[in-house]
Amino acid sequence: MTSRTRGLRFRVTAAFALGALLLFGILGSSVYLFSYHYLVEQRERSLVGQAYADARVVRDTLARSDEVKEPLAILDRVPGSNAVVRWRGRWFGTTVASAGATVPDGLRRLVEAGSPAHQRIDRSGVPTFVVGVPVDEVGAEYYEMFSLLELDRTLRTIRNALMAGGALAVVMAGLIGWTLSRRVLRPVADFASAAERVAAGDLETRLAPGADPDLASLAASFNHMVDAVERRIARESRFVADASHELRSPLTTLATAVEVMEARRDELPDRARRAFDLLRDEVRLLQRLVEDLLELGAAEAGAEAGAAEPVRLDELVANVVARSAGAQAVTVDVDPCFGEPVLADKRRFERILSNLIVNAGTHGRGLERLSLERRGDRLRLEVVDGGPGVPDDERQAVFERFFRGAAAGRRASSTGSGLGLALVAEHVRRNGGRVWVEDRDDGAGARFVVELPWAGEPGTGIARPEVRA
Amino acid sequence: MNDAAVAVIMDAVAPLRILAVEDDPRIRATLRLALEDEGYAVLEADSGESALELHSREDVDVVLVDLMLPGMTGFEVVRELRRASDVPIVIVTARTDSHDVVAGLEAGADDYVRKPFVVKELAARIRSLIRRSRGSEGGPDAGSSPGGPPVVFGAVELSPAEGVVRRHGEELALTRTEFHLLCELAENAGLVLSREQLLERVWGYDYFGEARLVDAHIRRLRTKIEEDPSEPALIVTVRGLGYKLVR
Repeated sequence: MTSRTRGLRFRVTAAFALGALLLFGILGSSVYLFSYHYLVEQRERSLVGQAYADARVVRDTLARSDEVKEPLAILDRVPGSNAVVRWRGRWFGTTVASAGATVPDGLRRLVEAGSPAHQRIDRSGVPTFVVGVPVDEVGAEYYEMFSLLELDRTLRTIRNALMAGGALAVVMAGLIGWTLSRRVLRPVADFASAAERVAAGDLETRLAPGADPDLASLAASFNHMVDAVERRIARESRFVADASHELRSPLTTLATAVEVMEARRDELPDRARRAFDLLRDEVRLLQRLVEDLLELGAAEAGAEAGAAEPVRLDELVANVVARSAGAQAVTVDVDPCFGEPVLADKRRFERILSNLIVNAGTHGRGLERLSLERRGDRLRLEVVDGGPGVPDDERQAVFERFFRGAAAGRRASSTGSGLGLALVAEHVRRNGGRVWVEDRDDGAGARFVVELPWAGEPGTGIARPEVRA
Repeated sequence: MNDAAVAVIMDAVAPLRILAVEDDPRIRATLRLALEDEGYAVLEADSGESALELHSREDVDVVLVDLMLPGMTGFEVVRELRRASDVPIVIVTARTDSHDVVAGLEAGADDYVRKPFVVKELAARIRSLIRRSRGSEGGPDAGSSPGGPPVVFGAVELSPAEGVVRRHGEELALTRTEFHLLCELAENAGLVLSREQLLERVWGYDYFGEARLVDAHIRRLRTKIEEDPSEPALIVTVRGLGYKLVR
């Protein structure tokens, strides 16, 4: 799947998750706020009620006796609550710690002034609800402190539950978005893989029209495009085949006639012989030119789909060198690993190699060194000659057709078709590789480097990539 | 002096006869000149129909068939010739791709050349074919003929000296090339022969011969000698290496 479809899918998923987050955020915080107010209000009301009831007990007790401690002991029933009484200017409490000091001043003043009051305070980390009730009949003030720990815990539990629910909803929404977007984007993924198959040379690929009218028109356009490409390629390879036939027939006559004459060359008068030599050389050049042109045309039309087959590259190199390099002293350096068959496009490899060797012979004063090695997932071929090298600004152009460099416009007296390196470049490209030229390390000549993808060894389970178009 | 010339002298009176089936009159004319230089007698046919007619009437040692003919195609000519005889057939193609080469070989051709061919090369192909064909006639002069005692594998019995192959006791109609290919495999039974080795030993090619030549002939051979050609049990493919005859 390409990064573009993943991006779209990611965006859909993110939108779903974000929507869920927003919705649940609003809903969750409303629920929380509502339950907060409801619970706090109810609890406070009941605590105030309890404080009044307790204050009444204190009042009755104080009216009957002078002893304060006894009723306070009785009062100490609400768990976590503390009662304090200020009576005749003195503080009385159930515990020493609770005596007086913890009652906030503002609250005390209100109660002293005769009005009941309550306040929320933080008592050394414990949320506390303080209720003050004036007990005027006996000239006392009654304070009761309730811990709100329980309530806080309840609220926290609600909040946590809401947040967990929210997180779950976001994840669920994300999952739904992911699944949904995959379904929605499946046609896009189908398009992508179909386009890739076409690019890889499978022109039989067509998209099913499908039910959706929007997608159907897209699929129809795609299929139409592939039809056009297929027709065009068929037309081109038919042209190559026709041209091939039309050119080869007269060339066959020419070449054969030249051979017949060649056998009688010595019988020719001097001037006729000189003319014949010219004729013969040009016919041979023409023959090479036509062969190379047709090969290039066929390679470009993809008529000859190269398939990887098991090849002993050491043997192949030795044979090509023996045939193409003639009698020169050549250093051939082939990695021993090529003694085992590897998967390669034998025909193209042979064409690449022999064209490079011929090029070294015609333009580089002969092949000097040739090496073949494996570098990771690439196969690297180096062809080194002893010629003048290739100037920087011509290193791209040498791979173009009929490039003649400094000799432009002048037809070399030699023998090259001017297509050898263009053929090399085309075959390398068709094999998914790279070719370039650089200076030799010692600067005395050119080094042509070909890197081809490593297709693997036969029978190792490595997929055989059919290197095509 | 080349081998063909030697062969011609040995036959003394009758030079070997080549039937050239080619619709282009200029190519036919130069081909005649060139092949006569090589010591052959040349019969010309400008269409498949006249080629078949000539072949039925005249004695022909080798047939050259251009695949692109008006009317009856080269493939049909090859198929018809093959139905009637095991005369060596070389197909000539002007196409760059190899589909029609393979199709021609499947139809029964022994070898192929591409236009524009070099006559020396064509002559070498013809010589190699004739050597095979004459060798199989089994005379004492058959130097390159495979000899040796009969070999039996499965239901197939190969008798190199007689030049016959029998399956379940019945004689099989193999072309000379198929016969030589089988002899080569039988001689090295149990060993793997690469396509390159077979090209060199059977067809006389160097390393750069077309491997499809071997593959096409192996396929044809299998349809004749195997019980189930789609599941070959006698001539097996050794992936990445070549072919092997299982005893």
